Amino acid sequence: MTTGLFLGKIATRSGYHAFEYSEYPSLIRGGHNVIEVRISDEEVHSQGQGVDLLLCLNKETADLHGHEVREGGVIVFDNEKTDESKLMKPDRNIHYVHIPFSRILRENSLPMVMLNNIALGVLMHLIGADMEILNTLIAETFARKGEEIITKNREAATLGMNEAKKNFKIDILHKLEKKSVISPKLYITGNEVIGLGAIRAGCQFYCAYPMTPSSAILHYLASKAEKAGIVVKHAEDEISVINMALGASWAGARSMVATSGGGFALMVEAVSLSGMTETPIVIVMGQRPGPATGMPTWTEQGDLHFVIRSGHGEFPKIVLAPGDVGEAYKLTVEAFNLADRYQTPVLIMADKYLQEGHQSVEKFEIQSRFDRDRIDRGKLLSQEELLKITSYKRYLITDDGISSRALPGMKQSLHQANSYEHGEDGHTTEDAGERVKQVDKRNRKEATYLSNDFRLPEVFGAKEPPLTVVSWGSMKGPILQAMKESGGSFNYVHFSRLWPLDFGKLKEFLGRFGKFLLIENNSTGQLGQLLTMATGIEFPQKLLKYSGRPVYPHEIMVKIKELL
Amino acid sequence: MNGQTATAKINSAFLGYFPTWCPGCGNFGIWSSLKTAFNKLQLEPDKMAVIFGIGCSGNMNDFLWANSFHALHGRAIPTAVGVKIANHKLPVIVIAGDGDTYGEGGNHLLHAARGNHDITVIVHDNRVYGLTTGQVAPTASKGAKSKSTPQGLIEVPVNPLALALTQGATFVAQGFSQDLVHLTDLIMSGINHRGFSLINVFQPCVTFNPANGYAFYRERVYKLAGDYDRSNLRLALDKSLELEDKIPIGIVYKTERPVYTDFLNQLKEKALVEEDITNRDLNKFIAEFI
Repeated sequence: MTTGLFLGKIATRSGYHAFEYSEYPSLIRGGHNVIEVRISDEEVHSQGQGVDLLLCLNKETADLHGHEVREGGVIVFDNEKTDESKLMKPDRNIHYVHIPFSRILRENSLPMVMLNNIALGVLMHLIGADMEILNTLIAETFARKGEEIITKNREAATLGMNEAKKNFKIDILHKLEKKSVISPKLYITGNEVIGLGAIRAGCQFYCAYPMTPSSAILHYLASKAEKAGIVVKHAEDEISVINMALGASWAGARSMVATSGGGFALMVEAVSLSGMTETPIVIVMGQRPGPATGMPTWTEQGDLHFVIRSGHGEFPKIVLAPGDVGEAYKLTVEAFNLADRYQTPVLIMADKYLQEGHQSVEKFEIQSRFDRDRIDRGKLLSQEELLKITSYKRYLITDDGISSRALPGMKQSLHQANSYEHGEDGHTTEDAGERVKQVDKRNRKEATYLSNDFRLPEVFGAKEPPLTVVSWGSMKGPILQAMKESGGSFNYVHFSRLWPLDFGKLKEFLGRFGKFLLIENNSTGQLGQLLTMATGIEFPQKLLKYSGRPVYPHEIMVKIKELL
Repeated sequence: MNGQTATAKINSAFLGYFPTWCPGCGNFGIWSSLKTAFNKLQLEPDKMAVIFGIGCSGNMNDFLWANSFHALHGRAIPTAVGVKIANHKLPVIVIAGDGDTYGEGGNHLLHAARGNHDITVIVHDNRVYGLTTGQVAPTASKGAKSKSTPQGLIEVPVNPLALALTQGATFVAQGFSQDLVHLTDLIMSGINHRGFSLINVFQPCVTFNPANGYAFYRERVYKLAGDYDRSNLRLALDKSLELEDKIPIGIVYKTERPVYTDFLNQLKEKALVEEDITNRDLNKFIAEFI
């Protein structure tokens, strides 16, 4: 994993764009782990087909991925670990680079952990990258462990570099020469960028129970908690997680939780509690293939309907779905503002594919956003404002459906947040009239959202192409990549705001397009069903993938060729 | 102004609607003791947080008027923990039932005790589910007949005190709702205690569990002696095993241990909610991603 991360960083620090996709089984040790890094002069939106350089640190890599290497490509292998005769295909134009990784480790009495550095040294030579970048990365990574460790890691990398230099003077690859002008980029995962967004948004309490693919948000925020002024709590179960977060939010702390489908199922009763008590909360729902435990370390978009309909009873909720790391940052900050503005749950739907892979994003793109970001706490009263109110009512009936919030501890804040139906003052009620008034009040928040904060989906690509792709969330990457590689034979309607939807506006908007292709990383076309319900428009052409793997750009191009 | 009028005046601060509990309900004693304790401690209704569970006990939300959150069934404890972390300057009190605390939310009790979160959990223990009209509670005696156990309960009862003691609670007490003065003292001690406090209160349900009525408890409860060593965990564990024939009331165990928020450097100067969040500098966080 480190080798892949370093390679990506070396690429971005050399002035390139990079995208990382990983596959690994739900095991701690063993099994087959693979990291794919795609590097380009231009923005890279997704993983893809065909490999230029395959670095095999074990036998499985050579066996399983040897055939993916393109003509003219390179396979780096260790003959102690790989059956050379099986690997080498005389009918193919491939450079086979034998590096005796095991022997180098043995002869230099190096521990197994040094294998990464040796491999990186080999890579540096083969792709012609600047060794200084690797040396700097090693120094940064091991800064806290001291000079000795840094030197040892650098020496191992040099061993690899020298071994490759000694034997291979090949000049076949795209070289990763350092560019003369380099705009700084972040090389960051969806999980990390959601964490970054949460810090910027003023998240004060983050609570979670570990669950793939969202655990890394917990790890990231826990490591920054003191520096950022956030309390991070690993609670006993997901039920506790969300109820703690709602308690903290009621007391005034901006709160977020993250989980995956199974954990979210446990949280659902409290999603409804957030709706009823009108307590803001941000929930990151990182999808993975279900049902039940499913395929924990793989990817899917199978929970759209579950999330939109989560929680018993009727109440408004807002569901967002970022398509890449830039959007994930932006929508995380926005989610906190929306939660405070509408005093209701806001869900960010992501998935393993977006959350665990690194993507490069221009530093200025994130920086210019966070310089502009504003914290909007909606109708949260200050102490001064509260003192001006003669008889404070937490659930006051209002035109926009949103009532002012006071916090416990403020003078004259006396109120109750009530999971029972309640009157304006928070007291429990079963009165028919008061019930209807409160239901209507809560529902009006949806209308307020639709008029103030609803946005139509973003459209990418040509103005009047013969085909329009419709999708949502993380499938944006493979679709934009396919668009780039196919020369723009289609355009793309990207949904990143999934609920509530303005049915009327959507019908008019979708009516402008001709033929549709629905692409989703699930088996039933859930967005398509939702849009049909909302607009009556049907999506007979579908590309649905639910093998636990993301859709690939070439699969999109094949499908589009079929349709045109 | 004499003392009596002053008390009456303050008392009204916590007074909500008149309870809807059955006449003779054990909850009245707890309600009354709570109000007295809050007044004696000079708590202010808007500068505290009372988290209610769901059940006849939780219905006190409308009868006891303080800043409150009427939580989900079983989830009052995690809600309270969240409130306390967000604003550790507020006194946080949980009012919940035996089903809430030892059944639906049993897991939360264990972990809140481990964390020594500075909250006071007052549990209404009547061995029956009243609001759902008479099924056994986790504290019901083995063999108890109810709507859900017409042939008699197969399980043995949970042991609330032993549970809390073994999971790290730093204040464990038991009270009886008919002894208001004693119960008021327990509640005050629990709120004054810095750390996780569990007060299990026997509170007869005269409607659905007359077998465990006032007479049942009066014949069995006894006050822990003045020279009882409440700092001795082994002795406390012994006392926690007295469940049927003779049942102790009073402070069974009390010890000092830093509370959860003491370990959070972020909270050294201010409560979490007092921090300015409007302008966090992201530049110091993005360097590692370049």
